[in-house]
Amino acid sequence: MRRHDVVVVGAGLAGQRAALAAAQAGRDVAIVSKLHPLRSHSGAAQGGINAAVGAEDSVDTHIYDTVKGSDYLGDQDAIEFFCREAGSIVVEMEHFGTIFSRGADGSLARRAFGGAGFPRTIYAADRTGLALLQAIYEHLGTETITVYEEWDLVQLIVRDGRAQGIVAFDRKHGTFEEIAARAIVIATGPAGRVYSRTTNAHSCTGDGLAIAYRAGAWLKDMEFVQFHPTALLESGILITEGARGEGGILKNVNGDRFMTKYAPHVMDLASRDVVSRAITTEIAEGRGFPGEYVHLELMHLGKEKIESRLQEICDFSRNFAGVDPVNEPIPVRPGQHYMMGGISTNIRGETSIAGLYSAGEAACVSIHGANRLGGNSLLETLVFGKQAGIAAAEYALTAALPSITADDLSAAERPVRAMQAKKDGVEPLALRSEIQSVMDRWVGIYRNPADLGKAWDALADLRRRSSELRIIDQTSSYSVNLGEALETQHILDLAEVIVAGAIARTESRGAHARVDFPKRDDANWMKHTIAAFRPEGPQLSYAPVAYTRWDPKERVY
Amino acid sequence: MVETVHATFQVYRFTPGVDSSPRYVSYEFDLPPHTPVLSALLKIRQEIDPTLAMRYSCRSSICGSCAMVINSKSRLACQTQIGPELARHGRIVIDPMRNQPVARDLIVDQKPFWHDYERIDPHLIADPAHPMPEGQPNPMTPEQVDRFYETPRCIACGACYSACPAKEADPEFPGPMALAKLYRFVVDPRDGATRERLLKIQPGGLWTCLRCHLCTAACPKDVRPSERIRDLKELAIAAQGVTEAGSRHAVAFKENIYERGLLNEGKLARQTLGLAGTAAQLPQAMRILRKKPELLKSPPKIEGLAEVRKIYEMLEDEERSG
Ligand SMILES: Cc1cc2nc3c(=O)[nH]c(=O)nc-3n(C[C@H](O)[C@H](O)[C@H](O)COP(=O)(O)OP(=O)(O)OC[C@H]3O[C@@H](n4cnc5c(N)ncnc54)[C@H](O)[C@@H]3O)c2cc1C
Ligand code: FES
Repeated sequence: MRRHDVVVVGAGLAGQRAALAAAQAGRDVAIVSKLHPLRSHSGAAQGGINAAVGAEDSVDTHIYDTVKGSDYLGDQDAIEFFCREAGSIVVEMEHFGTIFSRGADGSLARRAFGGAGFPRTIYAADRTGLALLQAIYEHLGTETITVYEEWDLVQLIVRDGRAQGIVAFDRKHGTFEEIAARAIVIATGPAGRVYSRTTNAHSCTGDGLAIAYRAGAWLKDMEFVQFHPTALLESGILITEGARGEGGILKNVNGDRFMTKYAPHVMDLASRDVVSRAITTEIAEGRGFPGEYVHLELMHLGKEKIESRLQEICDFSRNFAGVDPVNEPIPVRPGQHYMMGGISTNIRGETSIAGLYSAGEAACVSIHGANRLGGNSLLETLVFGKQAGIAAAEYALTAALPSITADDLSAAERPVRAMQAKKDGVEPLALRSEIQSVMDRWVGIYRNPADLGKAWDALADLRRRSSELRIIDQTSSYSVNLGEALETQHILDLAEVIVAGAIARTESRGAHARVDFPKRDDANWMKHTIAAFRPEGPQLSYAPVAYTRWDPKERVY
Repeated sequence: MVETVHATFQVYRFTPGVDSSPRYVSYEFDLPPHTPVLSALLKIRQEIDPTLAMRYSCRSSICGSCAMVINSKSRLACQTQIGPELARHGRIVIDPMRNQPVARDLIVDQKPFWHDYERIDPHLIADPAHPMPEGQPNPMTPEQVDRFYETPRCIACGACYSACPAKEADPEFPGPMALAKLYRFVVDPRDGATRERLLKIQPGGLWTCLRCHLCTAACPKDVRPSERIRDLKELAIAAQGVTEAGSRHAVAFKENIYERGLLNEGKLARQTLGLAGTAAQLPQAMRILRKKPELLKSPPKIEGLAEVRKIYEMLEDEERSG
């Protein structure tokens, strides 16, 4: 049987950083990833990574900005640790070979990002995620690590109160395989595909979250979902703030520059949540274009400026929307962008299950609280990926040999084979689309009890229908269809947790905007939502937020 | 209303070990002309046949999953719109990438590709003479960053590898992606193994490149592998001198043209392969000479030789001034 000291599931920035730390600690490490590591969604991040390294900046302001940005739901001890690690973790990535953009004096170049007191976002042109992903992958190549590539995590084996191993599906051979592990790190990344309107890749289906949740781990703050105001119509591809930073303006169907109404001073450059809500209101009140979108106009900037300063946006608009921003407006609308919530961990990446660790977007430490700041999530993957790797390595050193049995394998495989044996039933992609449209429609930026109730009922109905899921593809090799069936089940679990948390939280904080409770309610709701799996649905409880130095204030920018 | 076009797709289907031979299956839709090929394939998967096997993830040309051959060209499905393809070819024929064995339908086994990538030691090799500054980033000027050109944009999709005829002819050739990656390390001021890298890659590595530039045409990220291979050749000559058959060929070529403005094939072979090497090629040479006896004569000097030499001088001037 396959056995390793530490098994890291997921090979984005968080997973690879965890694997590196565990290998450097001398453990026998394996990575399991459904994509080749270099195809992970971390590569799509463009903007940059935060670290207060400039002479005029300070770690304390980074901490303060993050606490405030989190709308006081972030754990302040964790945020302090996080910001203090930032400088050294970025330098480490530079030493591994990351090709960052540079200032004339040879230092790391920095740009300004929303919600930050200083320009502290270090970047590599418009491809920071790719630059970091390449560098960590190259560096990891110098360590001895087993990589199970194109293997999907299917189940976590938890027995006697600790994680013992995993069952995975080998896409190439079409077989289910088990791997025993003394410690496991879940770094499976985003879950944006709970929505169809999302900036996330097709593969971002929150597998690790759902599987850990089913195995008994707690999920934290799942109702906090960040929307980006300008996702391209149809594909949902991100159109960065840069477009508005250069002077782009938003217009509704009547040709009105509507941001003058919502943010008279900063207008189109207001913070993400403000702009997202404004666009949503325009569409809801009938001033969107048919098909529910608004226009982002760049034409007035002129061909030269558009093509030189906003090259990426030009390419995206031309390639994916068939629109040339030099001559026409870009059709945009808000799209899901980031999940603040995830598997509940502390700063060592420890979860509620012994031997099980998590890091990256799959985890919730919590440093983002109710709202993440741009540039903090790349940093999170590396800071806490490293911590989780160190902690898992330590645990593995003294942990007893894991015990897994043949029954573990068949218990994971049987239901999937049963879906394959069905003669008719529900197509995974069809069910997935239905889950996504429920979430798009009723669990978006503004939430009200009536819509959330509709979503809850619709999900209950889809839950019943999910028992009819059927995998048509019988070929053993590369059954994409089988993978989609698994992913659809994960999305359904997570959608339920998001809706349950959103119904319960009767306040507005950060990304969670309740129409019927428009104010933040610190007296009753300054606490983390914890969801635990129960066969009848998520069971919610609450946990305190950690404070150190900052008292909650109203969040105004 | 968005206008649509009628699109016919012919998609390669093959499961080794199950199907006796590959076949093409046709699918037809009316779709807006800006629809990416990837979206059309996903529509086929969702509405007609969920067994169509393919790789995809980001749908925004950044993960490198969806490279395939579309109307005979290696490219990303998510970056190719159906409108222009239909206008040019009338239909859209989709095949898996070349130079890699088919695993199923549009999925190829990328092992050879990754193996070739590994061969160039794709990681920084520390320079013992210049340790990394403790707790500080290495300084690097914007000009040094510019020297990477677009090589850091590589998403390892394999389109260049699929398009490369040299790779097809010579399995030992590492292919454009690996060489562009090699270039990225060779010009990195933090790397301490530039010379070793260049020496290691020379036999069979660099000089197999045919300079056909098909890799550069295929690259969805403008990495321009063929231009970087050209740069590597120059760097290799500078590092090692003219010792390899490939580099001798390049230099001989240059001298030939300077002398007469035309190639002297016989002299070129002697200079490239040496006398013994040329002798080994004699049987083939005799066959060629029987057909083209004029090759035996030294070519005449061409009329505009003075101008040819002026080009050389200009290039040398340009090189000196950087
Ligand atoms: C368009 C876009 C732009 C962004 N820009 C920025 C930015 O500028 N700055 C910033 O700080 N943040 C940015 N973010 C957020 C940031 O990129 C992500 O939060 C971060 O990269 C997530 O990294 P990760 O390692 O957790 O996950 P990922 O990189 O997504 O990796 C997940 C890994 O898990 C694997 N996996 C998933 N499911 C399974 C399974 N079932 N079995 C096995 N393996 C599995 C995948 O193969 C993959 O290797 C952006 C996000 C998006 C979508
Ligand atoms: S799907 Fe990622 S490159 Fe095409």
